[in-house]
Amino acid sequence: MTGAAAGPGPGGLRADVRAAVAVAVLGTGWEVLSRKGLLNPAYFPPATQVVAALAEGLSAGELFPHVGATLQRLVVAFLLAALPGLALGMCMGLWGTVRRVADPYVALLYPIPKVALLPLMLILFGVGERAFVLTGAFTAFFQVVVNTMEGVRQVNPILVEVGRNYGARGFGLFWKVVLPAALPGILTGLRLGLGLTLVTVVAVEFAVAKSGLGHVVWSAWQTLTTPRMYAAFVVVGALGLFLTRGLRRLQDRLLAWQTSVDVW
Amino acid sequence: MVSATPRAEGAARSAVLSVLSVVVLLAGWEVSARVGWIREAFFPRPSSLLSQFQLLLRDGTLGLHMGATVGRLFWAFVLAAVPGVAVGLAMGVWRAARDTLDPLFAFVYPIPSVLFLPLAAFVLGRGEPARVLTSAVTSFFLVATNTMAGVRQLDRGILEAGIHYGATGHNLFFKVLLPGALPWIFTGLRLGLGFALIVVVAVEMVGAERGLGALLWLSWQTLKVRDMYVTLLTIGFLGLLTTYGLERLRSWLLPWQPKTEVRR
Repeated sequence: MTGAAAGPGPGGLRADVRAAVAVAVLGTGWEVLSRKGLLNPAYFPPATQVVAALAEGLSAGELFPHVGATLQRLVVAFLLAALPGLALGMCMGLWGTVRRVADPYVALLYPIPKVALLPLMLILFGVGERAFVLTGAFTAFFQVVVNTMEGVRQVNPILVEVGRNYGARGFGLFWKVVLPAALPGILTGLRLGLGLTLVTVVAVEFAVAKSGLGHVVWSAWQTLTTPRMYAAFVVVGALGLFLTRGLRRLQDRLLAWQTSVDVW
Repeated sequence: MVSATPRAEGAARSAVLSVLSVVVLLAGWEVSARVGWIREAFFPRPSSLLSQFQLLLRDGTLGLHMGATVGRLFWAFVLAAVPGVAVGLAMGVWRAARDTLDPLFAFVYPIPSVLFLPLAAFVLGRGEPARVLTSAVTSFFLVATNTMAGVRQLDRGILEAGIHYGATGHNLFFKVLLPGALPWIFTGLRLGLGFALIVVVAVEMVGAERGLGALLWLSWQTLKVRDMYVTLLTIGFLGLLTTYGLERLRSWLLPWQPKTEVRR
């Protein structure tokens, strides 16, 4: 693991088994406490009811449109942000002039919680998909810009020097030397950006949208249909688990050559 | 390209270009708004934002809401940091604690934190404690996982050297383990504080009478665009403070450690 651990580290198959056991133990305990009335069943319905609500929501196809809505917002926001974010981040990493011009804005806007941009987007575009998606896109954009820039800037100057000595110039130098060396930082930015965008998208759904998993949790809370609320929780958790762990593994696999780079 | 430029010259040029960039943007915005190239209803000119900022500051509105947000942020941070460091240290030192908690963390950590608001409200009622607890959840995981990683990445050699020099028990812990893990703990704290701000603002937008998020929401519903921009900039300022303030504190407390990269 390099740099800051952004979440629980990667684990193997054994970790998955342990996770399953932990969830099973927790679920059983929950079930018993709720049935005995030690937990208020109105707020904490027995786990079996949650599973039933989940099965019903999935088999009746009622939850799917909401999963789809969340996924669609997530993907569109991410795609909208990733390319310009990569481009700006690389330019800021490669050229000091670009960095100096853009830095004040990135430095000010990067730490702003992007959910806070939602009201502005609602004013500019009205209550609708465009506002929701753009709020999500800003989240991913700044994350990708910052990590890409750092990734490019942390490329070892010696590598660039060696590349030059072997005759790499201009685009060739960038494509063959700088980009591969900056790839870990870039992929980290994309991964973290996607994860944070999920947080923003769900918050937006919770606050205003009339569809999506965030909205399901909100509306189930308001109507106290708690089994449905927890069912949405499980789906969001699974989605988040995939985004954090799955993409982490994908990144490690994509960068498998990283460890062997100094061998040959 | 990635090349070494003389530091002093670079720093001076950097400041000039950055200041110039901001001045040009603000002047361009001001002029286009006055001339009518952009709609002031959406993009009020900077000078009017400044006077609105002074107004909100003088009549106490900004102070009131900012106080509420900072108070929540503080308590959420304390609620996340203290148990987070303790649990993280325990997970780093004891394998049993790590094995038990890790799967639970993996499942709960990626759930977007706003969704915990209903859960917290079930336990604590709809009020301040529920908002603070919601804001602390994800930060707790960030602090705990980074602390654990900090303990685990410790060089075995350093530990053994400490033991050879007679450090045992709490001496080994306070003199060797804790200082060694401190940079990672700080990273966790910085990430946790940043994340807590995101959730505090989101929770305030969804349901609170006071706080910058609530002010933002109110200014949308009453279409007070100037108030919205002023609030956004105030949140941005708070974000800057939380991101770079802790970084400063860290380099002051841990002068022997190199800067860590900006990463969520």
